Amino acid sequence: MADMITINVDGKDVQCPPKVQLIEALRRNAEIDTPAFCYHPDLKVAGNCRICLVEVEGPRGFALAISCHMQTSPGMKVKTHQSSEKIVKLRKGVMEFLLVNHPLDCPICDKAGECTLQEHYMGQGRHESRLDDAVGKVYKGGVDFRFQDTKGEVRGGKRIDLGETIVLDQERCIICTRCVRFMDDVAKSPQLDIAGRGDHAYLTTFPGKPLKHDYDLCTTDVCPVGALTGKHFRFQQRVWFLKSVESIDPSDSFGANLAIEYHNNRVWRLMPRRNPDVNKSWIANATRLLYQDLNKNRLSDAQLGDKDVTIEMAITAAAGALSAAKKVALVASGHLTVEDNAALVHLARTLGARAEIFGGSWLAVGKPDGIARSGDPVANRKGVQMLGIPESLDTLAQRAGEFDCLMTMGHDLWGADAAKAAPLESIPVRIALSPWNTATTKAATISIGIRAWAEVRGTMVNAAGRIQVMHACPVVPNSDLEAAWLVVSRLAKSQGAATAWATEGEAFRYAGTLARELAGVTYRAIGPMGLSTVAPAVAPVPVKAGV
Amino acid sequence: MPHPTHWKGKELPNVLRRLFDVPGGHTLEVARKHGAYETIGAALFDKSQFELIELVKDSGLRGRGGAGFPTGMKWSFVPRNTGKPVYLVINADEGEPGTFKDRLCMTRDPHLLIEGMIIAGYALGVRTAYIYVRGEMLPQIQALNRALTEAYAAGLLGENIQGSSYSLDIYVHRGAGAYICGEETGLINSLEGFKGQPRLKPPFPAISGAFAAPTVVNNVETIMAVPYILKNGAKAYGQWGTAKSPGSKLFSVSGDVKKPGVYEVPLAMPYMEFFELCGGLDGELLGCIPGGSSAPVLNAEETRKATMDYESLASLKSMLGSGAVTPFNTTRDPVLILESVARFYAHESCGQCTPCREGTGYVDRVLRNVVSGGGRTGDIDLIKDLADSYEWTTICAFAPGAAWPVQSFVTKFRSYFEAYISKNPEHSESRPLVAMRPGAFW
Repeated sequence: MADMITINVDGKDVQCPPKVQLIEALRRNAEIDTPAFCYHPDLKVAGNCRICLVEVEGPRGFALAISCHMQTSPGMKVKTHQSSEKIVKLRKGVMEFLLVNHPLDCPICDKAGECTLQEHYMGQGRHESRLDDAVGKVYKGGVDFRFQDTKGEVRGGKRIDLGETIVLDQERCIICTRCVRFMDDVAKSPQLDIAGRGDHAYLTTFPGKPLKHDYDLCTTDVCPVGALTGKHFRFQQRVWFLKSVESIDPSDSFGANLAIEYHNNRVWRLMPRRNPDVNKSWIANATRLLYQDLNKNRLSDAQLGDKDVTIEMAITAAAGALSAAKKVALVASGHLTVEDNAALVHLARTLGARAEIFGGSWLAVGKPDGIARSGDPVANRKGVQMLGIPESLDTLAQRAGEFDCLMTMGHDLWGADAAKAAPLESIPVRIALSPWNTATTKAATISIGIRAWAEVRGTMVNAAGRIQVMHACPVVPNSDLEAAWLVVSRLAKSQGAATAWATEGEAFRYAGTLARELAGVTYRAIGPMGLSTVAPAVAPVPVKAGV
Repeated sequence: MPHPTHWKGKELPNVLRRLFDVPGGHTLEVARKHGAYETIGAALFDKSQFELIELVKDSGLRGRGGAGFPTGMKWSFVPRNTGKPVYLVINADEGEPGTFKDRLCMTRDPHLLIEGMIIAGYALGVRTAYIYVRGEMLPQIQALNRALTEAYAAGLLGENIQGSSYSLDIYVHRGAGAYICGEETGLINSLEGFKGQPRLKPPFPAISGAFAAPTVVNNVETIMAVPYILKNGAKAYGQWGTAKSPGSKLFSVSGDVKKPGVYEVPLAMPYMEFFELCGGLDGELLGCIPGGSSAPVLNAEETRKATMDYESLASLKSMLGSGAVTPFNTTRDPVLILESVARFYAHESCGQCTPCREGTGYVDRVLRNVVSGGGRTGDIDLIKDLADSYEWTTICAFAPGAAWPVQSFVTKFRSYFEAYISKNPEHSESRPLVAMRPGAFW
């Protein structure tokens, strides 16, 4: 970049952006591992943990400064632990202080393996303990540390129920105030605070009030130690076993970036994936708990009427129904990927005048919460629009009599609005592709199970016009399940298309022929952080209700 | 006991103690007879803000709260025409152990403080000023409120002071009694209604302080010296002290002297001479805390050479601090003094920064253990090392203030600590490390 400046770190010149936190420049540009507990790139700087100390040259020679608060400026001279013995010693000192009142219960701690304290101890602490029984600890986890607040609630100690979602271990807390700052500045709902002072300070909610917020589980992400743990994941799985796949929030058009973490053929949790341009480091509790639906109530096979059949049999039946139909209504879905909807367009074009494609949703659109949800549950609404599919679901209901075959894909039309969907029951053949058993699969004459959002690779375009890739997690309830695009492209082949697609890449390339914004775009070009399809100067267009 | 007026044939400075011994000196009527508010008029309003700041700069007045920062320079940092109001906040949260000068000033001569605030307020373009008083100081708060009512009634405060175009309102804000609220940004946080924890700097208060506006925080005694400087000029103020430490200062003397109390003496007076003024030492001098509990202690030899000014104490690696002088004699136990000081800092650490939060408590627990007979070889080095670790690694100057007494006491009175430790029959054995405790996993 043209506006880079030069700073000197440990005697070496380093190019970095101007006026960024020095710690970021050290970590990214100088590639020096700089520890931090209180610093978080998406929270206000508090500067209280003091572990990121460096020496910075000032008018009176090198002076101590915390790199999270200091901003880079041209010609700045910095000494880190690599060249300054003093910094090594002081950081060890800070590490020792942090561990004074932190229990060494890593073997039973849920955070072990992803604990910042553990990592930096191994990296830069590594001292012999000078603690002993007589003088060492305050034992915040002990029974003596429990007391009743003014509302009669028990405070202090281990295993404190902070609210519906979170358990607090007071003894492990290192008072970094990340969670407090998250609730204050991001959630804008101040519910946590540090009470008391000195080494008897402790994290708490207001007397008698539980911690309750749509995003409160984010406090467990920012917690650098095992003080705050989510009840949904507590004691479920050791984090070092977990493998991770990058994905996108399928339940909201904000397109929050997340990681699917799985092990032993099961998804154990969803974690926010940092993307400064989209969701920063946050995802809503509702998004985070989506994984719980992945093995619940799945349509893992297919059904013809009330009869359970294999997926192959159902596809054959559906192909036959399509061939026999005079006029087919195809319903595209913003809950599924661009690839899936491109396949549907492909099917519609193969059927020619016999088919008409409808888009849109009957789900209510809420308001953006300003953090990581736009309120629109149709995650890929923009992507469907880009493919040229109209938002015409209401017309379909009015014109139901014109059709003798209906094919829905990923939608739960009956579940969204049973009254609006009722006229569709007059269509004799109703094919539903769905990952879950829903009111729509119940109303269908042919229902075919497909892979859910976590199990497919594909792209979605969020409300701000940013195209993002979700990758497939190999955990599936039934390995016979196929992605929607594959089922649909096989149906297209049965109706006379040249071949069925073999990869989602082919489907995506086809989407490129339909949408100007997607032409020539590849998965590699999109990358893990997504690619804006809107010119950078244009502000993201807010999704209007009912579009 | 009245304040002595002369010492060795010379008149003692009378800048701040003017009404200390005058009955009813806290009332406007009596205070006016002794010259209060004489400067509030043409003497002040004919001068420009720039001239006033230059005057204070010339006088060399330094902050009397502890850090000794040049007051005129502090005033000159305040940016002009930012579109934001400028606030003047008086730090009356006198919390340094051993210091009790400001409380006397506020009860005996609150009008001198108000007069100083009007001058400072005018020089800085302040419309609203606060006096942040330590919560426990109820008589002082009452005296200030009474004095403010009188001053408002006499047209010395409020709109268009004494017919000038300058207006100033002063509010007394009662703190809740925390040592850290004497740190200027901690004080500002507390004043705004937040927890009294120091702020990260920059921005400094002069740029963004109270309510995110430029703010000057000055000690009571500092502001009380301003009327004298305006009335008599910078040169008159410089008749006392040295070039770098001009003027007079209030010293709060406690400890082993015959007549403890608050004394106003010229700066650069030798400590030994000062003790004579205080009726002489009680017993044989062992050491002296020269400027409040956070100032590094001086041993007897150092005390004999030290003079009461910023440079002399800096050369002895100590500081004048808030001017709380505590000499102690050979019957005192430095170990117990340090234990008490360390406990104070462990109790008062705001708990924000790791090194100070955990370090002060750690040192306190080690010292308590030494005193109760459980000390081991290496404990002295341990607390020294811990103090070194938190000395300069925190947001504010609390941690160095907590580290200096530890470092200086264990260095200068090491034999006393060793005596405690050697009394423990197991002192040479190393301690068992914490590995087992009830409820632990392994």
